[in-house]
Amino acid sequence: MYKQIYLSILLLTLSVLSQGMVHAANLKPVTNEVAAPSLTLKDLQGDIHDLKDYRGQVVLVQFWATYCGPCRKEMPSMNKMMSKMGDTPFKILAVDMGESEAEVRPFVEEVKPEFTILMDEEGKSIEDWRVFAAPSNFIIGPDGNIKYTLFGGVEWDSDELVDKLKALAK
Amino acid sequence: MMNFRTVLLYILLLLFAANVQAKVIKNIETEDADIEVRVFPAEGNVLLLGFPCDEGKSIAEERTAQSLSEDGVEVWMPDMLGGFMLPKVRSSLADIPTETITAIIAEALKTGKKVYLIASGPDTELVLRAASQWEAEDHEPVAGAILMFPRLYKDTPVPGEVPEYVDAVGKTQLPIMLLEGGRTPNRWGLNTLSNELQKSGSDVTSKVIPKVRGYFFKRQDANRSEDVVTSQMAGLIKVSLFYLGESEI
Repeated sequence: MYKQIYLSILLLTLSVLSQGMVHAANLKPVTNEVAAPSLTLKDLQGDIHDLKDYRGQVVLVQFWATYCGPCRKEMPSMNKMMSKMGDTPFKILAVDMGESEAEVRPFVEEVKPEFTILMDEEGKSIEDWRVFAAPSNFIIGPDGNIKYTLFGGVEWDSDELVDKLKALAK
Repeated sequence: MMNFRTVLLYILLLLFAANVQAKVIKNIETEDADIEVRVFPAEGNVLLLGFPCDEGKSIAEERTAQSLSEDGVEVWMPDMLGGFMLPKVRSSLADIPTETITAIIAEALKTGKKVYLIASGPDTELVLRAASQWEAEDHEPVAGAILMFPRLYKDTPVPGEVPEYVDAVGKTQLPIMLLEGGRTPNRWGLNTLSNELQKSGSDVTSKVIPKVRGYFFKRQDANRSEDVVTSQMAGLIKVSLFYLGESEI
């Protein structure tokens, strides 16, 4: 009897936990040929990055902000994802949504992202990419087309997600 | 014996108390429910009708209402959730009949004042829903609406796609003022929302309040900027009324 109760509680807990996480299954495939909008922005060092220069690689374009709780939470897993992707041609461009450098720098110094943070204080790219919530993610294939979109926080270093992105590079 | 300064202070306090009218509770009987309305009376010709849907809470809103009434703007705060004994969850909004809201609008217009509607967050759907029904019934018009950080998406927006809005969006001709926090992704949806609202003929103005998040006046973890804006919310609302064309404030 106690064993049954224990098992029920365990199953219920696992079910609740799994609902709180976003899985690779939440990647929304973009089945049509949809070219990624243009994206040319400066990083925190002042260097200009143009999305089209990364043609031939899989690119995760993420729109985030320091005031967005899920964005802050998932960034360490993006660091781990970078190392898990190994030799796969892969790039993360994390576009900050309309904040100033003074607002972003303290967070960056704390999290130490091993990927590129782009600044868009005027929000021009946010409108071009039709972003209305954070974090909003776009997975761009080597051909420059959008392959998946995903809204919400996610554990980016999950094997399932890493495998899906690696498969895109082939 | 009291000195001159103390006497002057008492006189000033008495004068202040004479001008400040206390909150009163008014019950409005509608076909579906008895709605308790917190009324902050004022002498002026403008009445702000808000739908806090909060079961009697909303401390910042009460302070703002008191401040507005001291400045001559009467404020009515009906407790819609309490009236229908509904839980404080977003899905409860669908259970509030439009007719009940329009009955309260009718009651407010009986004062002879110009009535403006105000709501925040998902509650803004009630304002839009009621406004379109009110217009369809060809009544004396409501003067305008202030929507603070409106949350009117039908579902979470899909990255790269134009969001879908609740059915009440784009159905009224009411002049609308949109206020949104600068530190929320929703600020980037203001243009799209304005365009949708304008489709039915509304004159829409939008303003971003810098350095505050959505729901800034309801937050337990409010930062300094949010505290400052909360303390100045009555002024913010008066500016919004001005943008809506109100000159008697």
